[in-house]
Amino acid sequence: MTPRKQSESPGSTPARRAGSAVATAALAALLAGRLVAPAALAATVPATPPPAAGPATTPRLVPADAAGVLRAVRAAGAKAVIVNVWASWCAPCREEFPDILKVGRDLKERGVALVLVSGDFDDSRDDALKFLADHGVEFTTYLKTGNDEVFIDGLAPEWSGVLPATMVFDRTGRLRHFREGKVTYQQLRDLVLDVIDNPAHGPEKETKR
Amino acid sequence: MTKARMFAVAVAAAAAAVAMITTIPGGGVAMAADPAAAPPLALGASMPMTGESMKGVDGKEVTLASVRGAKGTLVVFTCNACPWAKAWEDRIVALGNDYQKKGIGVIAVNSNDPAKVAEDAYDPMKTRAREKGFAFPYVVDATSGVARAFGASRTPEAFLFDAKGALIYHGTIDDNAQEPDKVKEHYLADALDALASGSTVAVKETKAMGCGIKFRS
Repeated sequence: MTPRKQSESPGSTPARRAGSAVATAALAALLAGRLVAPAALAATVPATPPPAAGPATTPRLVPADAAGVLRAVRAAGAKAVIVNVWASWCAPCREEFPDILKVGRDLKERGVALVLVSGDFDDSRDDALKFLADHGVEFTTYLKTGNDEVFIDGLAPEWSGVLPATMVFDRTGRLRHFREGKVTYQQLRDLVLDVIDNPAHGPEKETKR
Repeated sequence: MTKARMFAVAVAAAAAAVAMITTIPGGGVAMAADPAAAPPLALGASMPMTGESMKGVDGKEVTLASVRGAKGTLVVFTCNACPWAKAWEDRIVALGNDYQKKGIGVIAVNSNDPAKVAEDAYDPMKTRAREKGFAFPYVVDATSGVARAFGASRTPEAFLFDAKGALIYHGTIDDNAQEPDKVKEHYLADALDALASGSTVAVKETKAMGCGIKFRS
């Protein structure tokens, strides 16, 4: 088995961070409110009509391949951009979703943007829309389209393809952190703050093979 | 140690167990979902856990060694519940049934914990195999240990071994789960064809989206 490192950030113990994560996650579940799209992202989103028969506040699912998602990442003009790939049928995705939203909401003022990409099939698109609406997501989100492998490697070559998958990009669209499987509030918050606090950290990373 | 402190430590241990983290070349970190899982088998690697006894839907115990074919062996990690596994299911069954007749041993392994996914319990597996006409064993990986040893992470995920038991293909079934009639690249079928006909597999590793294996703890 390949040795793997645990993420560490100075000044906070794992116990304190994890304990705080539980408290904040519980708070997130209670407060699950609305997240507003960053103005820069909203401004660049193509004018896609809302789904037929949906109310004006229905969150949209705009088809996007990896290049489209990366365009949205760069267009966000944010210091750090979280990309979360999920599906309505994916239990761990549903479980982590409130925490993902809460990190986006809590760190919005620090310059974080959130790009949500559903891996749902066409026949579960309505389930995805309902899930987004139930969580108060009103900003534009995306529906993965095209070849899986191109999508996976285009976003994060480390990704096996399993959902959920969460990435943190910097303002240039460079992938800085990647996680597959469920992520906690505190884990994601730490990764995002690392990107915000260390914008020039590390060499340029290839995002494609 | 205060109760609050003890709780925090316990939570930290649990959190550490949830996430495994590796360094990304660019300075970031990448994390895998299951801390006990090995990295995926590398091409050329030998089939692991060949003696592990697993119960098939026909009630018989089988091992990977017992299903080995004269020309090679296909091991597919799949399950009942996952929409991707279901989308590819007919194609997996057709390929398995076909190439089993051509000298390639075939086995479908369900490593999901039925305590987490009821649809992946033994009885629903029996029903599914009967309904879909599995002509090859569909077995329970009762500890999820086989999936861990393969480094399998998702369903469906295929591992194809040659006659000597060396991995020659790892990845997905084809390039379009959702629309079988729009498949352009028949990765697994091409690899099986190459193996059955004694030629070299051209595309040896592929990826696709899938459901995370619900490992038993």
